[in-house]
Amino acid sequence: MGLDILPQTIGNALVLGSIYAMVAVGLAIAFGVMQMANFSHGELFMVGAYCVYVLYTLFGWPFELAVIASFPIVALIGVIYERLIFRPTRGNVLAGFMATAGAGFILQVLISEWYGVGLPKSVQVPYPGGSDFLMTAISWQRLAIIPVTIAMVFGLWYFLTKVKDGKALRACAQDPEASVLQGIKLNKMTALAMAISGGFAGVGGALMAPIVSVNPYMGHDYAIIAFIVVIVGGMSSIPGAVLAAFILGFIHTFVSTFADSVYGMMIGVLFMAIVLIVKPTGLLGNVKV
Amino acid sequence: MLLELKNTAVHYGKVEATRDISIKVPEGEIITLIGANGAGKSTTLRMISGLVRPSQGEVLFEGESIAHLDPEDITDLGIAHVPEGRHVFPQMTVLENLEMGAYLVKSKQEMKNNLESVFEHFPRLKERVKQFAGTMSGGEQQMVAMARGLMSSPRLILMDEPSLGLSPIMQQEIAVIIKEIHAQGRTIILVEQNARLALSLAQYGYVLETGEIALEGDAKKLRDDEGVQRTYLGMD
Repeated sequence: MGLDILPQTIGNALVLGSIYAMVAVGLAIAFGVMQMANFSHGELFMVGAYCVYVLYTLFGWPFELAVIASFPIVALIGVIYERLIFRPTRGNVLAGFMATAGAGFILQVLISEWYGVGLPKSVQVPYPGGSDFLMTAISWQRLAIIPVTIAMVFGLWYFLTKVKDGKALRACAQDPEASVLQGIKLNKMTALAMAISGGFAGVGGALMAPIVSVNPYMGHDYAIIAFIVVIVGGMSSIPGAVLAAFILGFIHTFVSTFADSVYGMMIGVLFMAIVLIVKPTGLLGNVKV
Repeated sequence: MLLELKNTAVHYGKVEATRDISIKVPEGEIITLIGANGAGKSTTLRMISGLVRPSQGEVLFEGESIAHLDPEDITDLGIAHVPEGRHVFPQMTVLENLEMGAYLVKSKQEMKNNLESVFEHFPRLKERVKQFAGTMSGGEQQMVAMARGLMSSPRLILMDEPSLGLSPIMQQEIAVIIKEIHAQGRTIILVEQNARLALSLAQYGYVLETGEIALEGDAKKLRDDEGVQRTYLGMD
């Protein structure tokens, strides 16, 4: 086990960090604007994966189109969450927790009813082969996640800093009451936040569909990691979520490669504990959305 | 009458915060509400801007009832609320804060014009457009909050404790700006604990005590009132 696997491991870590970022950014933006956590964020990820399974594997759409379609489909579920759960329970974190946890089970059961639970769905790999440079061998399928993540995070950054409604979204996260006094509609902004949140989770799941086994319960692990990432980054900070996603991507990949994956998870959680002791608000905890 | 409150009351749950408040705000004047902490001054402003709803009475803006409207719609009618404690958006730049103030302004040209006229009142902000509002001093944040309120070119501006926590020099500076804004023909409701400052700016004042109007009158008359002098102006 020498240095020759270093480039490979770094590559793997970048891929993993990217997927963590996709899932965690959505959680952070929703928390930032609503101060409410979506405990079925993982199920939105799962539905994104099923979008690819249904549209690409069953219906024969091009893979890229299926991934793109997963954004509006899961964004719509996010908006429904906002309307049916977060708006009625606004300000009541516990009610939001129970209701979203319940909604997660509903999504799991619905998907199980429609597509079965038994065998994991296999999604054929649309981009076979892989990299063969810089001493790395990473499948194209995994590598593709990196540019998509960069493009989407950049797109989000552009929206939040250059577009009026994006700025209004940040304003709502920083001071909801002052935002309302400027004429910003809070309900519109929370719906927008949940649409973005769902869209990112959906595309994350869609990109992972050909790589992991697609089943109704696949979102669970990602949801836990997304929560760890968001806590490490600072609950409502998007830059924090991206930074923490890559840090944890590196921790998980390196420890898994050089020890095993259980240790990877353990050290990731240990890292979270240390961050919370040293800086209880998370790495960039005072930088809101 | 630009704004009129008729026998309004506000309850927080079962607790009565204000009762039987009637206030008239003629166009183009500065009206002040003075009184101690908890007298119901801020509650009254929050009721006008729709953040809390009156449990009784009427709120009329240009003769139309607005008590049932949401705050964003009330802002749209031309009422700007500069909240107590500034409430600037700390992690947004000064310019972004001002843009949010003009959230309901649709045309780019109008927004540009508003920005320029706001910078006339607040030249200091023009030099700082890129600075994050959260990193500014209290007085500067107050300027950002006031400038943000002006960005929607409101007919009526509610100012809640603009001088709170500021140095005497900065208080004077804010007072000058309030005069300038008023001189442009804008109507202002000024809520202040600094009664001396408020009564020197306003034409008419209301003294609130424990949720009720204890006294009202021309600002000059209130300044000369013995009770007001003793209680609010610190004179024996």
